[in-house]
Amino acid sequence: MTTVAEAPPRAPAPETEPPRKRGRWTPYLLLVPGLLWLLVFFALPVIYQASTSVQTGSLEEGYEVTWHFATYWDALSEYWPQFVRSVLYAASATVLCLLLGYPLAYLIAFRAGRWRNLIMILVIAPFFTSFLIRTLAWKTILADGGPVVGALDTLHVLDVTAWLGWTVGDRVLATPLAVVCGLTYNFLPFMILPLYTSLERIDPRLHEAANDLYARPSTTFRKVTFPLSMPGVVSGTLLTFIPATGDYVNADLLGSTDTRMVGNVIQSQFLRILDYPTAAALSFILMAAILFMVMFYIRRSGTEDLV
Amino acid sequence: MTFVNWLKRRLVVIAGLLTLAYLLLPNIVVTVFSFNQPKGRFNYEWQEFSTEAWQDPCGVSGLCGSLTLSLRIALWATLGATLLGTMIAFALVRYRFRARGAVNSLIFLPMAMPEVVMAASLLTLFLNMGARLGFWTILIAHIMFCLSFVVVAVKARVMSMDPRLEQAAQDLYAGPFQTFVRVTLPIAAPGIAAGALLAFALSFDDFIITNFNAGSTVTFPMFVWGSAQRGTPVQINVIGTAMFVIAVVLVLVAMAVGNRRDRRKAQKTHRSPL
Amino acid sequence: MTTTKDTTASGNGGDVRLTGIGKTYGSFTAVHPLDLTVPQGSFFALLGASGCGKTTTLRMIAGLEEPTSGTVHLGDQDVTALPPYKRPVNTVFQSYALFPHLDIFENVAFGLRRRGIRSVKKQVEEMLELVQLGEQARKKPHQLSGGQQQRVAVARALINHPKVLLLDEPLGALDLKLRRQMQLELKRIQTEVGITFVHVTHDQEEAMTMADTVAVMNAGRVEQLGSPTDLYENPRTTFVANFLGTSNFIEAEVDAKSGDEIVLKAGGGKLVLPRARTNAPTPTGGKVLVGVRPEKISLTHADDAGGIPEGRNRITGRIADSSFIGVSTQFVVDSPVCPDFEVYVQNIDRDTRLVPGAEVVLHWNPAHTFGLDAAQSLLAGTVGSAGAGTVEEEVAR
Repeated sequence: MTTVAEAPPRAPAPETEPPRKRGRWTPYLLLVPGLLWLLVFFALPVIYQASTSVQTGSLEEGYEVTWHFATYWDALSEYWPQFVRSVLYAASATVLCLLLGYPLAYLIAFRAGRWRNLIMILVIAPFFTSFLIRTLAWKTILADGGPVVGALDTLHVLDVTAWLGWTVGDRVLATPLAVVCGLTYNFLPFMILPLYTSLERIDPRLHEAANDLYARPSTTFRKVTFPLSMPGVVSGTLLTFIPATGDYVNADLLGSTDTRMVGNVIQSQFLRILDYPTAAALSFILMAAILFMVMFYIRRSGTEDLV
Repeated sequence: MTFVNWLKRRLVVIAGLLTLAYLLLPNIVVTVFSFNQPKGRFNYEWQEFSTEAWQDPCGVSGLCGSLTLSLRIALWATLGATLLGTMIAFALVRYRFRARGAVNSLIFLPMAMPEVVMAASLLTLFLNMGARLGFWTILIAHIMFCLSFVVVAVKARVMSMDPRLEQAAQDLYAGPFQTFVRVTLPIAAPGIAAGALLAFALSFDDFIITNFNAGSTVTFPMFVWGSAQRGTPVQINVIGTAMFVIAVVLVLVAMAVGNRRDRRKAQKTHRSPL
Repeated sequence: MTTTKDTTASGNGGDVRLTGIGKTYGSFTAVHPLDLTVPQGSFFALLGASGCGKTTTLRMIAGLEEPTSGTVHLGDQDVTALPPYKRPVNTVFQSYALFPHLDIFENVAFGLRRRGIRSVKKQVEEMLELVQLGEQARKKPHQLSGGQQQRVAVARALINHPKVLLLDEPLGALDLKLRRQMQLELKRIQTEVGITFVHVTHDQEEAMTMADTVAVMNAGRVEQLGSPTDLYENPRTTFVANFLGTSNFIEAEVDAKSGDEIVLKAGGGKLVLPRARTNAPTPTGGKVLVGVRPEKISLTHADDAGGIPEGRNRITGRIADSSFIGVSTQFVVDSPVCPDFEVYVQNIDRDTRLVPGAEVVLHWNPAHTFGLDAAQSLLAGTVGSAGAGTVEEEVAR
């Protein structure tokens, strides 16, 4: 039916009957409400934010657009460590998610048998407990002198991580390690689900074919399974990296002032210090940086259909 | 040597189960600590067993109020986002129109943007318009960021639907409206349900966008956040545990019902002579 | 049905008349403007390879495709501008398009309910009996086998008593044995209900078994129209000759004309062609393509050539290949006038000398020879030249 709209108009109209215009306006009627919503409450705010970022003034006297681009420079020079930290933490969490999530996704797709549904439920079910409550639980798990930290200390793992700068002294809480651990935990399902979806689509006979053609299990994985799961890897890493970069909950609850990420800065500038231009500039830089990285990544990985 | 081989063959399974344990550990902690009786204001260290909090889950002022508010917002946001998102999904799959690329990016961008950016920019809009922050601003924001996810879920389902089914309905005297109600909608229903469920979960659990646009209104995640600064009552763990258990039980029941129905059907098919 | 007055009484209510109907997609012409009349109560087949425009033609009758030019009449009524849900025409879709969320009963009742008919139970049950699915009424489509689904699709369409039933490759998804069975079944139902059937298929055997009249389509045009026997015995183009069954062609030169016969020169020998069996121009000295079907030819070992009766067309050659297929043996004969001549010989008394390498004489009754215009490809309509490929499927989406 979709072709109807494209068909050229009927040649000399033979009868009085007008040519049918089936559904010429329907798509627009369907689109308008939702798109208007997105335009007004998503696109327009981005423009407002851009305008706010080049305003000067104060809360009392009001703000005015003065094209004060120096705000960007000031914001960057003051908060670049937080930017770098955000990208580093998010990237580490993404890599960890991939390393931890892949075996589980593989397990569900190929090895779980009749346990498949149960494991799927267990992966999704934690979602139903507020993520803030679950993140707070990590405070208990990683508590100073608790069993986890004690074990890591006895095994001298903490010495290594302290030497790398991931932990401080014999603490895990309030260190970069705790924040990355929290980020990894929070976004792990977003890695596992796309991975599972793309692994599940792989015909198991391909494994048999690869084995039949003299590929050892490890070769089969490298040459067949992993390449075929690339769409899942790409969307999983994006779904992990993007929200992790902007997150401030984990850095706030599990970190310290030394682990503040750019999200924390934006949040406090906006909601506590009320320096709107700086906050807007920071947020705009973050947006631009993420879009740039995502575009580059998509180009490189050659996948266009992410959604 | 045999042990190494055994390990090698089960490496994936072991690694996967360890990840699963990592995912579930916090939930176990939340559950265990819902039976704690902490000494101070914070519920981070085990003191002694108690069912006090379970007997009085609303015992903390503001907790259950915030929970009801979150549920209300989530329901309305689900309704709004599902309606708008389903309409967009149908338009995208079933019709050709100008500026399709622009529409697609407008739907994709909210998902490719850190929440804090959307939250901050929406707040600038509300501040500039002089809107009063509260229930309505939260609802507007939630519908906005849930919309795209609904579109994706519904679109996937509608795309896999055979267009011939709708043509068959038309061929069998169903007009456009009848075709939509009797054929298209029922077949797209699982996709719409999945989108709605996702929207509900996203809205109910949202913190960052709500944090920016709530003003002094307190949703459940906001309540938890506030208590993380002031002191965490055990009741939070009770609510968290209850939600987890309810969700798992509901899913298991749904699966059992589905399985039974399938099996019954299979038996019937088997018994009847071809 | 609701919106059209019933013209069945006038006797030609089930006629389908296509006048100058054509369809283009951008610069691609799926169907060249064509005229076609399907008489009431007939079983009509549109036959052609994929991409030939047969499905597009069918969909224009159904109203699922808007013609670029021309009109569609059902009886006296012009239905060109009517949407599908207002046409007294029903379709059995390719792969059936049964509603997966409704059970068999509701699938069959769908059309009745849409027309506001309340008590459908009796009609539906009768219809399910007709297609022998009374037991399965409360099952969902996916619980049925392919053949059963196919019968549901037929029942769902027929229950509406359409003036015309359109069948779009209805047997394509079935295996060979079931297809044979369903061919007979459909034919039986058609005879029973007496409705006009228009059947689209790419399977020449299916078209010939079931249809009264077959239109062979090629590249958006009707190549030839007629009864199955007529098409088979008197193909007018090499496309039809090759698409329906197999044909052998010999390029020949007109030598002389005598009475009802034309004498031709081919290689060293002479062939006789009845004048009534060619529509090609035959000036003396001009070229003609001589065709003969493989099963009309007799094969005799060269040693016994003397025993062949006079007056038969004959050609010499050497057996290049033979394959035994039970009912018959199929030979490929290398002859000076035609490199791979196909000959089917019934396995009645097998001559053990007829093995690859043997010198043979091919001979047949001149009445079985047909003549075609030499100015066309010998290979049109053969497997390798199926043509437009999957264009039609793409267009149909």
